[in-house]
Amino acid sequence: MLGAIVFATGASTPRKYPDRKVVRFWHRWQGDWEKQVNKIVDAFNESQSDYEVVPVSVPGGGADSKLILGVIGGDSPDLMSMWSGAVPNMAANGFLTDLETLMTPDERRRFFKESYAALRDTGMYRGKCYGITIGADLMALYVNVKQLREEGLDPDKFPKTLEELEEWGLRLNKRDKDGQLTRLGFLLSDVAYVSRTFGGGFEVENGKPHIDTPENLRALEAIASYRKKVGYDDVLRFEAGLNDIEGAASWAFMHGDLSITYDGQWRVEELRKFKPDMEYRVYPIPPPRVGGTPLGGLVGGNYMIVPTSAKQKAGAWEFLKFWTGLDNPDRAATFYNMGGWLPYSPAVANSPTFQKWLKANPQFQAFIDILGSPNCKAAPPIANVQYLNDLIRRAEDEAVRGIVTPKQALQKIDSKFKEEQAKRRALGYDE
Amino acid sequence: MAGPVSQRVRNNLVAYAFLSPWLVGMLAFTLWPFLRSIYLSFTRYNIVSPPKWVGLANYNMLLTQDELFWKSALVTIKYACISVPLGIVVGVSLAMLLNANVRGMTLFRTIFYLPSIVPTVATSVLFIWILNPNIGLLNKMLARFGITGPAWLNTSPWAFYSLVLMALWGVGGSMVIYLAGLKDVPTQLYEAATLDGASGFRKMRHVTLPLMTPVIFFNLVMGIIGAFQTFTQAFVITPNGGPEDSTYFYSLYLYNRAWKYLDMGYASAMAWILFLMIVVLTALVFRTQKRWVHYSG
Repeated sequence: MLGAIVFATGASTPRKYPDRKVVRFWHRWQGDWEKQVNKIVDAFNESQSDYEVVPVSVPGGGADSKLILGVIGGDSPDLMSMWSGAVPNMAANGFLTDLETLMTPDERRRFFKESYAALRDTGMYRGKCYGITIGADLMALYVNVKQLREEGLDPDKFPKTLEELEEWGLRLNKRDKDGQLTRLGFLLSDVAYVSRTFGGGFEVENGKPHIDTPENLRALEAIASYRKKVGYDDVLRFEAGLNDIEGAASWAFMHGDLSITYDGQWRVEELRKFKPDMEYRVYPIPPPRVGGTPLGGLVGGNYMIVPTSAKQKAGAWEFLKFWTGLDNPDRAATFYNMGGWLPYSPAVANSPTFQKWLKANPQFQAFIDILGSPNCKAAPPIANVQYLNDLIRRAEDEAVRGIVTPKQALQKIDSKFKEEQAKRRALGYDE
Repeated sequence: MAGPVSQRVRNNLVAYAFLSPWLVGMLAFTLWPFLRSIYLSFTRYNIVSPPKWVGLANYNMLLTQDELFWKSALVTIKYACISVPLGIVVGVSLAMLLNANVRGMTLFRTIFYLPSIVPTVATSVLFIWILNPNIGLLNKMLARFGITGPAWLNTSPWAFYSLVLMALWGVGGSMVIYLAGLKDVPTQLYEAATLDGASGFRKMRHVTLPLMTPVIFFNLVMGIIGAFQTFTQAFVITPNGGPEDSTYFYSLYLYNRAWKYLDMGYASAMAWILFLMIVVLTALVFRTQKRWVHYSG
């Protein structure tokens, strides 16, 4: 009965400022992160008197399908944080508002001039901006100083090449009497990301895929051969036994199960909160000895979008500006620091507040360095990028398991992607 | 004469008025989408834009160019071929055991039935932990016998058989139906068989099982339909299709095509092929029933 009354009156969301225009904001953060998001929302609601942002945490798995249903049902949020991989396809299918239509000319100029290129491009589709990040992710190496020293390795003289890093990793592995891994020194994985360090990447330019390239091949060969050295099954068992929940204090690195591990920038803030005494370093992944590119990276993560059916687009844009710091970089720096998120622009990164936080958390600098590098790129802005990502993931898995060679894996991605392109064109899609 | 007729009409109207919530729901949310999806399967459709007619292109591509379509269909058929007969054997066996006249039997029946009412998502999460290669219950038990259990959900073919194993977890639902079927077997038939000197096995083979065939037939049909629609456990446990696509079920691929790639027309064509597969298989099973299903009385 109570549910029926709430449903009938539409009064399911408590309002703190009932006289203001409501901006419904869906996001995918939960747990401790959700608390940070709520603090940012509160700060915005207290900063002005026109809008009230009402946040709703929508778990990641079904968030996009809920948005689709919301859009067709005429009851979509006004603003939503979406996984970057879904942005191009959603934009191509007319679900997303071109955010430039909400910007003033000055905001537009500043946004395009000030943003980190890789972050900005990740939210673009066909030259238009459909998503702006407030929570993009990059990966770097977290290094357990104590464990390195125990093995006679100097954490401050970190390997300059990938090959040297692999040697360190093998040296840091620990096994029990049955030969099972009890500690993993280092693991190379994620070819879409690692290929950037090899000077490659899975690009699609003007409809032409660049997948089966020598750089990508070397990256995948390095991943497969290193995994073979550690033992495919050994790693599988070891990883499956880790109680590794993002956003919680259970990250395996914190508990010494991983000596050097490849992870996202948000872990800096988690370590500060949950393991403040742990001594660690963060380094960008070193390039291979031959043909590598330093500070390679691939941007992904949470991007803010405004659905085409949003009823309060102006309010959504005001909140988005407030959070990103487009209007006030120094104020927004506090928000980025709360969740350990990457600033959208050097203006935020260089602001006094952000610099102060960076001084207290110097490990984060590695991510800022990668972000500012020309080798840090966006994923290809194509409608079927999720299909491409799925192909890459499956092919890497097959190559690592030894079912196909790295060369065959890349050829498979290439041919399957071209088949899909042909299929889409036959059905009348533009790309 | 007008009186009784108008009374009958009024009664009918009242009946339809009471039925109308269900009828409206069925027409609007089941029949209309069902019929509409036939049309959509011949279009390119992304939900927000009007559908664009593409003729047989979706079907043509599915059947001639889509490797994953065939792969996922084979995974699903293999799953149905293994899990449905296995479910019947285990369900009937359990029902026979729980039909015994021993103290506390209702408690045992409840215990065996309980897992079938646990939501599939919760069961799936439970199995992720049970099948964990390092700290999972199953491998810990195997280790007591000196057996190193596999990485169940991360290696092929174990990931597939893990889902088959999980299907048995919910066998309690059909077990209750088998139990009801067992209760319907006339006791005089057992008495006659006993007088004729039949052993326990012969009684089961020649009395129990033949009279259980209508219930087995029902569960077989429902099992086939359910197996072909397997989605939730695969989506929760191996959302990317599992190792070497070994758990890439048809419905999971259909879901990805619809909601991840926004290819609703293509997904509708897949849904209709699935529907036809189920109809054909169900029809085949119905055709065979004359040979092995015995209706008493």
